[in-house]
Amino acid sequence: MAPLVDGQDPQARVRDLEAMLDALGDHAVIKLGPDGKVVRWSRTAQAMTGYAEAEVVGRPLSLLRTEEDREAGLLERELDAVRQDGRREFQGWRVRKTGERFLSHISLTPVTGEDGTVTGFVEVLRDATESARAESLFHGLLESAPDAMVIVGSDARIVLVNRQAEALFGFGRDELVGREIEVLVPGRFRDRHVGHRNGFLADPQVRPMGAGLELWGLRRDGTEFPVEISLSPLETAEGRLVAAAIRDVTERRETEQRLQRQRDEILELSTPVIQVWDKILVLPIIGTLDTLRATRLTEGLLEKIAQSQAEVAILDISGVPTIDTQVAQHLLKTVQAAALMGTVSIMSGVRPETAQSMVHLGIDMGRLRSRNTLQDALQLALAVLAERAGTAAAATRALSAGEGR
Amino acid sequence: MTEDVVPVMRIGDTLLVALQGDLDDTTVIRIEDQLTREIARSAATGMLIDVSRLSVVDSFIARVLARIVAMVRLLGAQAAVVGIQPAVAITLVELGVPMGHLDTALNAEQGLALLERLRRGDTGTGRP
Repeated sequence: MAPLVDGQDPQARVRDLEAMLDALGDHAVIKLGPDGKVVRWSRTAQAMTGYAEAEVVGRPLSLLRTEEDREAGLLERELDAVRQDGRREFQGWRVRKTGERFLSHISLTPVTGEDGTVTGFVEVLRDATESARAESLFHGLLESAPDAMVIVGSDARIVLVNRQAEALFGFGRDELVGREIEVLVPGRFRDRHVGHRNGFLADPQVRPMGAGLELWGLRRDGTEFPVEISLSPLETAEGRLVAAAIRDVTERRETEQRLQRQRDEILELSTPVIQVWDKILVLPIIGTLDTLRATRLTEGLLEKIAQSQAEVAILDISGVPTIDTQVAQHLLKTVQAAALMGTVSIMSGVRPETAQSMVHLGIDMGRLRSRNTLQDALQLALAVLAERAGTAAAATRALSAGEGR
Repeated sequence: MTEDVVPVMRIGDTLLVALQGDLDDTTVIRIEDQLTREIARSAATGMLIDVSRLSVVDSFIARVLARIVAMVRLLGAQAAVVGIQPAVAITLVELGVPMGHLDTALNAEQGLALLERLRRGDTGTGRP
């Protein structure tokens, strides 16, 4: 016998339809009679509600409803409405056999006979607890985020804002939703911002906004404040959204500025130039010499030379922990620059171990004259001045003879 | 006869020259011409070149100064550069322009003393 095509064998057809119903998984399918009593009960309906088919067939479907719904006769009213107007979809609470309630998406469809009269209904239930939970989780997250969040659609119009954003910008939610994001951008940046956001929407990726730029937000009252913004694209059923997390950094900017000011002050303090004698300056160097400090030190010394016309500068390094090649290089540059202006430099405060390590490191200070103590350096400076003034006394001549020029 | 391009002041045996404005190749040649003739004519034994009014001193100017100093020395006089400004000094050191062979002083007064020492053959400038 030739095999029958599946569709023509009534039994195979029923088996197929049942398999198809089972495959719906999270959809419960229930056939009702015209009076709202259960006629057929899919296996998925059993899984969802906990009732077996045998328990429910012949009973009104209102057994799945809440007490309130039953008292209000909601099922009957729904059936009447569907009988009149056709298929309806809605959301509502259903009750499992255990008494547990669950939120459900429901579609109710009338089944009509050949003469057009309604012979029954099909109700399809889908458990919406998960998606409701996800949605409320999303809103919860949004509201509990530490930053102000503004979510923007691909047309740059605001879709969603959280409480923090309302507080930060001083706008109410309903004043923002639907408006372009530029309402939160100070006027002078708006044109540029339109270009940037279009660029971002074309190639969205998680990133901080305006790297290296100072960003400003605009409040409802017209005041501006510094912000930091990070952007992340959200792919959703409603299309591509962009979530912007906005943080008010007024306080941090102020702290940074205060730190910078203090750093400048410390630099200023750490490189004093002292005039100890007519035409003699002393530069006590304390701590490690990095490039920034060395530059400030050189500038400070040369300015003081220009101002005081001092002929000798003593660089005292007793407060420098170690003299390495780099520090020596900085010192030599200072000495050279001073020499170009016509001022002689003397190094002082070289400890025995410093002298050893400098020679071991191969540091060459050229012909820079050096002394162990500040006192010796000062005597040498006076000798240089006296010699220049042509009044070298016997004592200082002895000193300058000892310097081995 | 070329006109004078820089003002030259005479103090005793020393000529004081103040360089100023933009120095280009032509001007430099004329300055060299003027200064060498001035040394020869006046029989001065020293020259101070004041650069305090040059706001920009680059390696070109540094070479010009070295050339003038060499010419002056060839004519038997001493030369020193005075009035290098702090910013200029820092720039020259940062650029690594070799200036070690130049004698420098802070101002004209100290420059005169420096020339005096140079004349005595004493190079006590303390240059490293």
